[in-house]
Amino acid sequence: MAQNQPVKLLVIDDDAHLRESLAEVLELDGFECLQAGAAADGIATAKKNNPMVVIMDIQLPDSSGFQICQELRKHSRETILIMMTGRFLSAEEKTQGFELGADEYLTKPFDLQELSVRIRQLLSRGRS
Amino acid sequence: MAEAIRGRGKLAYKFLLWFLLISLAPMGVVGWHLIDISQTVLKEESLRHQQSLAVGFAETVSNYTSTFKTVLTIASRLEGFATMDPVKQERHLNRVMQQHAAFLEVSVFDAAGRETVRMGRFLGAAPQMRDFADQDSFRAALDKGDYMGGLTRFQGLYPTLTLAVPILESGVGQTVKRGVLLGRVSLNGLSQMLRQEFPEKGRSQAAVVAGDVRDSFLVAHSNPAEAFKTDARLPEEILKVILTQTAKRGGGEVALSDGTRVLGAFAEIKDVGWIVYVQQPIESAYLAATQMKAQVLRVLLWVVVITLLLSLAVAGHITQPIRVLQQAAEHLTAGRFEDLPEMTLTNDEIGDLAQSFVQMSDSLKEKTGELLHAKEELTKYGRDLERRVEARTRELKAAQDELIKKERLAAIGQMASVVGHEIRNPLAVINNSIFFIKTKMAKEATIDPKIERHISIIQSEVKQANSIIDEILTYSRTREMKPEVTKLNGWIDEVLSVYPFPPHIRVEKSLDARDPVVAIDQDQMKQAVRNLIGNGIEVMPQQGAVRVATSIVEKGWVRLDIGDTGPGIPQDVLEKIFTPFYTTKARGTGLGLAVVKKVADGHGGRIDVATEIGRGTTFSLFLPLFDPNRPSQPSQAGAAARPAVKPPITAPASPAARTEPPQTARAMPGTRPQGT
Repeated sequence: MAQNQPVKLLVIDDDAHLRESLAEVLELDGFECLQAGAAADGIATAKKNNPMVVIMDIQLPDSSGFQICQELRKHSRETILIMMTGRFLSAEEKTQGFELGADEYLTKPFDLQELSVRIRQLLSRGRS
Repeated sequence: MAEAIRGRGKLAYKFLLWFLLISLAPMGVVGWHLIDISQTVLKEESLRHQQSLAVGFAETVSNYTSTFKTVLTIASRLEGFATMDPVKQERHLNRVMQQHAAFLEVSVFDAAGRETVRMGRFLGAAPQMRDFADQDSFRAALDKGDYMGGLTRFQGLYPTLTLAVPILESGVGQTVKRGVLLGRVSLNGLSQMLRQEFPEKGRSQAAVVAGDVRDSFLVAHSNPAEAFKTDARLPEEILKVILTQTAKRGGGEVALSDGTRVLGAFAEIKDVGWIVYVQQPIESAYLAATQMKAQVLRVLLWVVVITLLLSLAVAGHITQPIRVLQQAAEHLTAGRFEDLPEMTLTNDEIGDLAQSFVQMSDSLKEKTGELLHAKEELTKYGRDLERRVEARTRELKAAQDELIKKERLAAIGQMASVVGHEIRNPLAVINNSIFFIKTKMAKEATIDPKIERHISIIQSEVKQANSIIDEILTYSRTREMKPEVTKLNGWIDEVLSVYPFPPHIRVEKSLDARDPVVAIDQDQMKQAVRNLIGNGIEVMPQQGAVRVATSIVEKGWVRLDIGDTGPGIPQDVLEKIFTPFYTTKARGTGLGLAVVKKVADGHGGRIDVATEIGRGTTFSLFLPLFDPNRPSQPSQAGAAARPAVKPPITAPASPAARTEPPQTARAMPGTRPQGT
């Protein structure tokens, strides 16, 4: 990808404020952010726009982050999938997420600078 | 008991009654009959006596009259009296009258009934001669041989009897009646005799009566004055009895018109046909019977009294052992086994009864003793049981309390977890927004430093809030233990090296040279240690030292001390410091030490605290040493791997309240360490 072209991100979270603030902050950092408030919407947006990174909440009103993860991974092997959670995850849950294709877990709240750095790390490393 | 036995019971009186009945009733009956018989006999005897008196006197009367007749007969038969001239006869008869004062008159009649001689004590010199030819007395004497009768009262007073005998002239081969010799005899002598024989006293009297009921003649009476009356008569009712009798003798009780009763007897006088009557008042007649009756009654009375006394004594004697028994039974009833009255064991049924009683009381005593003993035992067991129940109840209560506490804590933890998560989202949004603002502002040329400062404050507070939520979630989370075999000294060095000690705090280490090995969940233990260090730093705002020491104490135990040189913990606070959510700080969750305790418990260890006001506080964490011979201990699964031995008890840890674990300064408080 060209360096001058903004990296496309998709944020899926039912909390509008969180979603918005996260997207705006990331945009400040030079990403292009898409937003979705529900799983179905998010999957559709992702399939349509092919974002390089999808950040999703595990708990969504219509589905779970795990299912989105599974769905999107089928669609694209390259997309970086980051899961957000507000609670502690058990080792089993984490393992399950990784097996379904998740690349990273974030526990809310998280440091935005760190997130930004982490995204770039994952991008530069690339999925393989 | 002497006074009790002295008295007589009802039984004794019953005995007494029976004794009296048995002894006195037959005697009374027999006595009564005897008296009755004796009375009858005595009365009959009295009557017979009366009768014999009457008969005896009848004899006397008979003799009396025949004497005078004999006198007349002898006089008439004097040699030649029949043929004597009247002068001689008169002389002769005069002698007779002198000898026999009872003759009041004597007369001689010739065969034709003309009076030839007439002599009388109260006649004049030449008395008138009478003609008796038609008189009964003359005719009877001449025809039948003699005459006795003609009772009259001489001069209206003296009862007199007329006697007449024939004057016979004895010729050869034949006797010729020449006349009649007639005498009039006073019967006063009879009254005198009666008076002598029956001296009048009370209503006793005796009398000679002639004639029939309607025309009776009182011939003689024991009271001569009675006989001299012109109309002398015995009472009508007596006359009816004696003059209507056909028997020659008899007698019986007579009721007089004045209501009194008398015993009367009568006898007929032969020749003259008069009746002798003898009377005695019943009282005197039956005096003997009455006296005998009184005597018998007196004797009876004595017998009754004596029987009564004897019976009393006997009844008392017989019932005495029974009363003793009764008393003993009362004592038994009252439970006074030792205080039984003395019982003399007589050789009879009562003695046997007493014997049985004694045996029974012994047996009862024994049984009662056993019963008492059993009761005591029972009471003892009861108390023991009660104590046990109490103890168990206490244990149960403690367990229940513990359970409730745990449940409550679990509920609180759950709630805290939910609340924590819910708060995290808004915090994240705030964080994001602030970050956005800050980033935006950084691109501006001029920045108001005050706004920058406030933005920093907001960020800091958000971090603070996050760390509190972290703490709560850490405490409430039930995480599996992941024990790893760890060299304690090296591990603590590492923890201390990364801990951001402020510059005014010294760190003093004193680690056991034996280098103790433990099996610990490093993450949890690190949290605990950091909490303790944080607390220590917090109470030393100016200057102080954190002292960390390890030492192997006793067998199988290592002690990790983390102390400070702060002000110490007051007693009232000390008691609660391990209670979750208890805090003395303005900001704090009250979970720091609770987490420490939870970690210690999770490792099968114990947390102690020693504090001294003004000198400092030391928390001691006791952990079991790792034992390679017990493979279960370090097992990966083994959160439950607890040492078999209990943590050693050290010097009483003065419980200390310290406040919250410090807000553990973490470089990036928002994120959990992630293995990247």
